[in-house]
Amino acid sequence: MNLTELLAAYPAAGLFYTSFVRFLFPLLAGAILYRAVRSLLRLPHTPETWGQLSLPGGGSVPLTHWENILGRGKSADVRLNYPSVSRQHAALCRNGDGQWTLYDLDSKGGVLLNGEPVEGSAPVRLGDAIELGGVPLLFLPQTVAEQEEQGKLRRAERPAAMWPSFLWLTVFQLLACTQLMVAAGGDAHPAVPLSFLGLTAVMWLYAAVLRLFRCVGFEMETIAFFLSTLSLAVTASSAPGSLYKQLLAVVLGLLLFLTLGLFLRDLDRVQRNRWVMAGASIALLAVTLLLGRAKYGAVNWISLGPLSFQPSEIAKICYIFAGSATLERLFRRRNLTLFIVLTGVCIGLLGLMSDFGTAAIFFVTFLVLAYLRSGDFATLSLICGGAVFGAGIIVKFKPYILSRFASWGHAWEDASGRGYQQTRTMSAAASGGLFGMGGGEGWLHRVPAADTDLVFGMLCEEWGLLIALFAAASIGALAFFAVRACRVGRSSFYCLAACSAGSLLVFQTCLNVFGSVDLLPLTGVTFPFVSNGGSAMMSAWGLLAFLKATDTRENASFAIWRQKLRSAPPG
Amino acid sequence: MKKIENRAVVCLLLAVVLAVGMGFFLLRYLARGGDWASSAFNRHLYNSQGQLTAGTVLDRDGDVLSSAENGERTYYDSEAVRKATLHAVGDLQGNIGAGALNAFADRLTGWNPINGAFGADRGGELTLTIDARYNYEAYQALNGHAGTVAVYNYKTGEILCMVSAPSYDPLHVPEDIETNDRWKGAYVNRFLSSVFTPGSVYKTVTLAAALETIPDLENRTWDCAGSLRIGEETVVCSGVHGEQDIAAAFANSCNAAFAGIAVELGADTLRKYTEKAGLTASYSVDGLAAARGSFDWDLTEGRLGWAGVGQDKDLVNPCALMVYMGAIANGGRAAEPYLILKTKNGLGFPSLPRWTRKTAALIDAGTAETLAEFLAGNVEKTYGTGRFPNMDLCAKSGTAEVGEGQSPHAWFAGFLRNEDAPYAFVVLVENGGGGSSTAGTVAGKVLDVMVNGYEK
Repeated sequence: MNLTELLAAYPAAGLFYTSFVRFLFPLLAGAILYRAVRSLLRLPHTPETWGQLSLPGGGSVPLTHWENILGRGKSADVRLNYPSVSRQHAALCRNGDGQWTLYDLDSKGGVLLNGEPVEGSAPVRLGDAIELGGVPLLFLPQTVAEQEEQGKLRRAERPAAMWPSFLWLTVFQLLACTQLMVAAGGDAHPAVPLSFLGLTAVMWLYAAVLRLFRCVGFEMETIAFFLSTLSLAVTASSAPGSLYKQLLAVVLGLLLFLTLGLFLRDLDRVQRNRWVMAGASIALLAVTLLLGRAKYGAVNWISLGPLSFQPSEIAKICYIFAGSATLERLFRRRNLTLFIVLTGVCIGLLGLMSDFGTAAIFFVTFLVLAYLRSGDFATLSLICGGAVFGAGIIVKFKPYILSRFASWGHAWEDASGRGYQQTRTMSAAASGGLFGMGGGEGWLHRVPAADTDLVFGMLCEEWGLLIALFAAASIGALAFFAVRACRVGRSSFYCLAACSAGSLLVFQTCLNVFGSVDLLPLTGVTFPFVSNGGSAMMSAWGLLAFLKATDTRENASFAIWRQKLRSAPPG
Repeated sequence: MKKIENRAVVCLLLAVVLAVGMGFFLLRYLARGGDWASSAFNRHLYNSQGQLTAGTVLDRDGDVLSSAENGERTYYDSEAVRKATLHAVGDLQGNIGAGALNAFADRLTGWNPINGAFGADRGGELTLTIDARYNYEAYQALNGHAGTVAVYNYKTGEILCMVSAPSYDPLHVPEDIETNDRWKGAYVNRFLSSVFTPGSVYKTVTLAAALETIPDLENRTWDCAGSLRIGEETVVCSGVHGEQDIAAAFANSCNAAFAGIAVELGADTLRKYTEKAGLTASYSVDGLAAARGSFDWDLTEGRLGWAGVGQDKDLVNPCALMVYMGAIANGGRAAEPYLILKTKNGLGFPSLPRWTRKTAALIDAGTAETLAEFLAGNVEKTYGTGRFPNMDLCAKSGTAEVGEGQSPHAWFAGFLRNEDAPYAFVVLVENGGGGSSTAGTVAGKVLDVMVNGYEK
């Protein structure tokens, strides 16, 4: 007896099923996410160590990053509290190949390497003697005993096993799929069971393959797979026909995630390609402007035959790639001019497309990156002021832009006009309560852009406020992870990229959620991972690669070269 | 690296923004979720014609005013009752926003913030505080005039009668409702959502101010020659009242005397007492915001004279006036009015019992007592106690001029001091003519049924 016949024979069975599982979904979501988020936030762990500096008074300081500042200041990575040492005296940086370079950061006391003064920079080898303002240091590798001790510690901090979460997620997918079929009266689109099955398979396949390569940390992937499941659930309601496409987007996103992650392993390669990425982000946006067509007021779609995609989504990845930089670069080029130019061009192009939501995302990402790079509040305040002024001028000459946001905060006063989408979202969200009306049992999907811009409302209506909150909170958890991972990051490039990718995801979530419930103007940006849409899905997975590349826990991340034990002492 | 680590806190800032925004959304969801869900386009609660698909509205005796059968909404059998309760119950098209079907859809269907609209198709029960019979009597008494009649218990807050006219049969909406002047404002519940020129009923506030501000008020007399010249304005009286003390001036509703008193009090004092009386406040009746009265206090002495007798730019909301009357009856503080007696959700769980909330002191207790005597004196001296059998009635009439060529609005507002009938009321008949004669008669008919009963 198949589901259709069962539901025909027992009409109450469907209702019974829904009223039962709607309480189960938040519990499952909690079980899936709790493990992943707790494990992610249990950082900082024991850092990797790349060498050590022995101090004149005995004792030594381990070098836990590839980029270390030596100096007297509080923010120095190796703090040398001697009056003759400047606050930021020198930097000791390692490249991907294990070659170290010593930089004199315009110190007063000067830097000597093996007795020779260092002008600008000089290559260093393990065993070399360094003198900072007369303070002698010896640059040494870790001893074998220390390495083993530390290796033991790091192995003991193995990330929590994620298979229970994967198992719960599989149960979630199974129940959600059944719910969607029940809601359709057993007459669901064949894509519903097949795409859910596909996602389950992709998920386990991914875990199995990475496990073969001895990878152990799957927390971020768990979160992303959970959100992707919600995306399928939402799409099954609104457009079951595009489920295969959405599943394909998850697969492509996963591939992009893996590719980008593997690419990020090699810092030198990354450095070489920053210009390419800067060019790519501008090119992607420019092409969209030239060839794009308008959808919901913004010209951000390109159609190639039956396929249509949003290049601006991929431009986000290129932009972060180009905007992040190593510490070495930060010393050499202290000002942000080129980066500001890149940002200006990107935002200008987005403005011309009338894609103000994405423009805002780029601007906030810029602010985060620029602050991380320079720490210069004054300049950034000036830039913010300039942006506000510029926006004011644009609005003065093109006042119709403002009219798009006219209903902001007054959606209910024009519920059938400009506040149409927001009021529908709020009404549908309130109908769902904490546990939802049941997947596939909503009506909000009939409102335009329900499964993209208003997806928070669809989550609330069909799956309940709790699931919707979990979804937003798990994006927040990614940002938390990025911040904490900075403490043990290898290069500042990875930290900058992870923090800005985390910020981007969080800010985009803010715009999407608060826009749909009239706390912010509705700008038409997507909810990362959840909204229906191929480019957005791929972009979210791609951005996740930046976060993955900061995960320096032992064997946790495929995006990081494993640290080789270096047993031979220097000659 | 440590530097960047320290700066990375900005990233957390955004996470905090997300969390704070979510918290704000949750608060809004808790506060307004019911209203959001109660939108006619919400297909979980309404059908495609925008009719609430579940839930029964009853009056305080349990008479079913509206219920849903097979997803279609039905009303009470009698057309007259349908018309009389229309603004309390609400229409099918969602035009009468203050009606229970629209405003209380969440409670009617058993929506709640935990379960949302799940199971709301079973429908709950919502019992209103009004009595369909009283509404029927009031609507009949209005006799086709536009206006409003409301009575409430100033000790408990229950609104027993609430009628707004013009009204129409929700099952047979007149075709010319949008075009014909006869239906002007038919969607508006005048009791809650309108403001009107108060005319002489406002003298109650002027008198309250005078009682507390002018020490020898009760020993003075006023000589009325039919009009009083103040500055550039001439305040005209309804008659030549001659020499009168304050009680007589109040009972005669003497414009000349009260305009003089208003000028003597000054705009600031009058404003203070008007605001204290709650006439510029908005009452919330089970979440329905009543309209706010408004006054212009930036005026010349002559206009102040007119303002003191409820003319000029004075506007009051009938609900606020009724509550003020209740406060005079109840020692300065009345119960806040409400409309929902009880609810029962789809599973049959009843709502918690209501507790009465009181207004702030709208008038000092001592002044209230004195004022009540004056109001009782009005009935004795002017309106006639015979018209109000078995009633210890205190009231003030008003005949508000609303413009050249139009009959004035007729007002009658007051309260009963009967132990077993602690009711405050307001009657407004638009363009009804004399306050006491027209509005007083309507009030008399409704109160008579409430106090002395009716033949079943």
